[in-house]
Amino acid sequence: MNLDPTGAPTAELKVIGKRLARVDALERVTGQAIYPADLKLPGMVHAKILRSPLAHARIRGIDSTRAQALKGVLAVVTAADFPALPVGSTIPMGETGYDMWMVAAINMARDKVHWVGQPVAAVAAVDVHTAAAALALIAVDYEPLEPVLGILAAMAPEAPVLHEHVFTKGIEPRPRAPSNVCSRVVISRGDASAALQDADASARVRVEVDTAHQGYLEPQVAMAQVDANGFATVWASTQGQFTAELMIARMLGLPASKLKVVPLEIGGGFGGKIAIHGEAVAVRLAQKCQRPVKLVLTREEVLQGGSGPAAGALIDVAVAAQKDGGLRAIEGTYRMDAGGLPGMSPSLLMQASAALYQCPNLSLEGYDVVTNKPRTEAYRGPGGIQAAFAVEQAMDMLCQKLGMDPLEFRQRNASVTGGLMPIGTPFPAIGLDTILEAVGRHRCWTEPLAPGAYPRGRGLALGYWRGTSMTSAAHITIAGDGRPMVTMGAVDLSGTRSTMAQVVAEEFGLAIEDVHVQTGDSKSVGYSDGAAGSRVARTMTAALVEACADALRQLRMRAAEKLQSAPELLHYADAVFRAPQPSGAAISLAELMQATLTDGAVVGRGVSSKLPLGVEIGAHVCDVEVDTDSGLVTILRYTAFQDVGLALNPIAVEGQIEGSVVQGLGWALLEGFDYGPDGRLRNASLLDYRMPTALDVPRIESVIIETPVPNVPYGVRGVGEVPIVPPAAAVANAIARAVGVRVCHMPMTPERVLAAIRAAPGRPDVS
Amino acid sequence: MRTFIYVAPPSIEDAIGELRRGEARPLAGGTDLLPQLREGRRNADRIVDLKRIAELSAIRPLPQGGLAIGAAASATSVARHDLVAARYPAIAASARLLGSVQVQNRASLGGNVCNAAPSADVVPALICHEASAQIAGAAGRRNTPLDEFFAGPGRTVLEADEVLTALWLAAVPPRSATTYLRFTPRREMDIAIVGVAVRIDLAEDRSIALARVALASVGPTPVRAVSTERLLRGNRLDRDLSVAAATAAANADARPISDTRASADYRRALVEVLVRRGLAACARTLDIASELR
Amino acid sequence: MKTLLACTINAEAHTVLVDVRDTLLDLVRERIGLTGSKEGCGNGNCGTCTVLLDGAAVNACLVLALEVAGREVVTIEGVARVGELHPIQSALVESGGTQCGFCTPGIVLAAKALLDTNADPSEQDIRQAIAGNLCRCTGYGKIVDAIATAAARLRETET
Repeated sequence: MNLDPTGAPTAELKVIGKRLARVDALERVTGQAIYPADLKLPGMVHAKILRSPLAHARIRGIDSTRAQALKGVLAVVTAADFPALPVGSTIPMGETGYDMWMVAAINMARDKVHWVGQPVAAVAAVDVHTAAAALALIAVDYEPLEPVLGILAAMAPEAPVLHEHVFTKGIEPRPRAPSNVCSRVVISRGDASAALQDADASARVRVEVDTAHQGYLEPQVAMAQVDANGFATVWASTQGQFTAELMIARMLGLPASKLKVVPLEIGGGFGGKIAIHGEAVAVRLAQKCQRPVKLVLTREEVLQGGSGPAAGALIDVAVAAQKDGGLRAIEGTYRMDAGGLPGMSPSLLMQASAALYQCPNLSLEGYDVVTNKPRTEAYRGPGGIQAAFAVEQAMDMLCQKLGMDPLEFRQRNASVTGGLMPIGTPFPAIGLDTILEAVGRHRCWTEPLAPGAYPRGRGLALGYWRGTSMTSAAHITIAGDGRPMVTMGAVDLSGTRSTMAQVVAEEFGLAIEDVHVQTGDSKSVGYSDGAAGSRVARTMTAALVEACADALRQLRMRAAEKLQSAPELLHYADAVFRAPQPSGAAISLAELMQATLTDGAVVGRGVSSKLPLGVEIGAHVCDVEVDTDSGLVTILRYTAFQDVGLALNPIAVEGQIEGSVVQGLGWALLEGFDYGPDGRLRNASLLDYRMPTALDVPRIESVIIETPVPNVPYGVRGVGEVPIVPPAAAVANAIARAVGVRVCHMPMTPERVLAAIRAAPGRPDVS
Repeated sequence: MRTFIYVAPPSIEDAIGELRRGEARPLAGGTDLLPQLREGRRNADRIVDLKRIAELSAIRPLPQGGLAIGAAASATSVARHDLVAARYPAIAASARLLGSVQVQNRASLGGNVCNAAPSADVVPALICHEASAQIAGAAGRRNTPLDEFFAGPGRTVLEADEVLTALWLAAVPPRSATTYLRFTPRREMDIAIVGVAVRIDLAEDRSIALARVALASVGPTPVRAVSTERLLRGNRLDRDLSVAAATAAANADARPISDTRASADYRRALVEVLVRRGLAACARTLDIASELR
Repeated sequence: MKTLLACTINAEAHTVLVDVRDTLLDLVRERIGLTGSKEGCGNGNCGTCTVLLDGAAVNACLVLALEVAGREVVTIEGVARVGELHPIQSALVESGGTQCGFCTPGIVLAAKALLDTNADPSEQDIRQAIAGNLCRCTGYGKIVDAIATAAARLRETET
């Protein structure tokens, strides 16, 4: 056993912590990796989905007779083909479950549509062209309703109500009239309002954030096959095969035992592939026509309502401090645009925005508001970047008013281990002061900005995210050659096949090449929650440490018998059991399994549940140049400091940080959905939904800091979510330092930056 | 996508014959046509692939001086061609702005012109070089100045059975400089929010003998900025003239609309900026940059 | 309408029945079964379908299958030689330049097209060459590193 009771390693690590290549990189660079769209099954037919052209409407009727009569069409489905799920129906997921009434609506509208692109029918046909032609033959009778598109418009008392059964949660007494405000959350302590009035300095900002998309390059895909027993197999691009199975089963009214979901390679998820988007529809079509059904979403469908983007927001923040820099108050109103169905509680993003500051007075109010746009889903630290765009700018404005260095201000007010989190519980071990100290020593902070043709500025912003743990399971079988074969329950979204191979190799004293890791389907491994909330690497590490111990215990028993020694006296190291002196006899794992394979299998199992959470913290420094004629912002330099607990594989950790930062920079400067007044997305292509290219971002430098999480094997923290949280604020703060204006609308496009520059008082004349 | 008949004729005459049959569309690089067919923005029951007609991809000097660029020549082949790089660098630069490397290897200048988007990146520099559209059709051959080739967004003066065969560029006199600049939020794979081409030819006394200014994305068709040209012609290029020209281009010549990519006001602001920068770039090439300070 | 098409894919002659509406991407993925090239957007804006057509990098989704009659196509499956990776491939493995892997085949082909004509590319050259290939996972840094490493290794083997 390599770990002490607090989870810290007892000896120098040989595999964990090393810069190793991914174990699955070869199949990626040779094109051999299999994604669901690469599958072909004999007799396969193709599905296509008919989607609402209206943002808000009642469905009076659907007539698909002409479509069904088209040669080559094998099946047509509508909501009538699925059981009506009662409001409040959920499937288990974490602590709150997942609302199935919503999942069903996302996959097939019933009676009403709430956004352009919501599915209303689907067909299966011999080829995609016939399927597309069949869609045009389905007649849907809509009664158009007035769409509600803006957050404030939706919150207004006279706004048309999207859902008659939604009453604002978090208001006492329970309201009697339904509302577009699905939930209200309040986090408070002290008296922020009074503190704001009394403090020496205060700053106030309102920010608007456009909806953005996770931008995974692989669209959603599902292949469904139903066998002669009615057992359905679904291959899908999914972040969680078990969650998908529960959702599909409930939506179809199928017992979970009649279904399995097989996750293949996934071309990006980032939170957008937790809910199903077409899988259950594919199964129903397959049931109807008794042929395998392949459903591949087009990019237009993904963007135009066929998937769940990340929430837009309207956020007001006010902060106040004394002239010595002591923070006195944070006041915030966070209005999140959930899209057409209720979204997530704003609680976590509210906490995240204030968590890194010791602040005696807090008054945070959050609202989740529905509008007639696609129902939003998670995107790496959901709500984090939007909230930070507000709070970190407000803090920066406060620093400017106080004439205080922004790093010193953060250090002055930094949360510490044991200090109070926003909800009042004490902070577990956090290394914020270590991170801030590292920033202060780094060249990115100490080197002055070289002058350029246009004004330049440097911005600092912090980020906090708290992921989730939930449950992960794995088992290990020992092969005939003594090597561990790992089947883990979580989908590999961030390279966990490789990092978990490192963990098992470390536990066994083997090289990474000796360990094989695969992800099991939903029937071949223990229940595991999906790859989300920065949870897999650390919880699967815990599960595997347990599984390794279990397997090694069984192996030790066998070795003891072979070596004629008491099991507890054997010494195990580097895949060899050795009896104590005077015998000194030894047997390797390979020899042991060769001799005992047919005596019975050696299988180790491990489950992790509700592992103590390590929080994710980051501090980012960004240098920009602002072209004051066009508003174009160039990122000159970007450095991301992050506490990862323990870096299982520094290359993988850097990769997560760099990628997540670039996503943040994309939303900061380029990415945003542009909805027309009819609720139709006007930039539903990758030409006009602008994700950064290799020319748009510089090299991102990541600085890894390691403050282990206590009582967690190897002290690992989640990595992938927090890097997306600071970039927009870091860029905005840099712009403010460069040109003296605050840009408060994300993305900060050149047009918006120029407008802010020109609107600022005292602007020098252009010519 | 509706099904269609695909043909790849070996000669222009054959191509014209094919274009007369049904709802036919010519195909060069396909980088505009294929997405349009896929999304149902255009229909075709016959696709006439022009790439087997050698003449249409040739780039050759004209006997009378100047250069002929085959309409189907790829952007990459145009940008790399010695004569284009040496004598028409703004055309080479424009060709490289047609998209990513993958797109440049397929997209043609003729396709960019005939697709007739107001944002077409090769058109402004071609107009500055007095490009003449060479056209072949059932009624025979004809030509028209490029700045008279466009009828509206996505529409040209071509008849259904006509095809653009080449763009003829005038010879470039000494003391001439042409620049094309465009503004996009991304550094690649983007449509011009505004594009500006500026050409300045100097007389012996260093006054402006010829000025051409053409704008992309600020009108239903590419815009020849005649007010701006009038202001520049005959004068010496100095800072005041540069400012006046930029203002005229933005306010008198540009007629932008607001759309998902930008507002009309922002487009006007960018026209001003890019005209000034274009004039400055020409001034540097002509070695009169000191006069702009 | 289906037509017979003769073409060369990865140095192998193929005669395949195609639908006239098939793109080159449909041809390689659906008709021939080489699924390494991906469809991320279908209209030339992501680069995941990048292949080499007569040596030039193109978006396979923007080429009709019928246009490659008699021409040579190289897909990701044709980059490595039996038992030997191309230096770009091994460099991507080492540098961590592949995560979800969906952009990787296209990036390999775009990088190969660059290194086939430019033996000593600057960082700007490299970024320009892959500007038509979106990557959402890596932030591009490790991809650029890998291509530079591959260029250096290729130069070494030349001398």
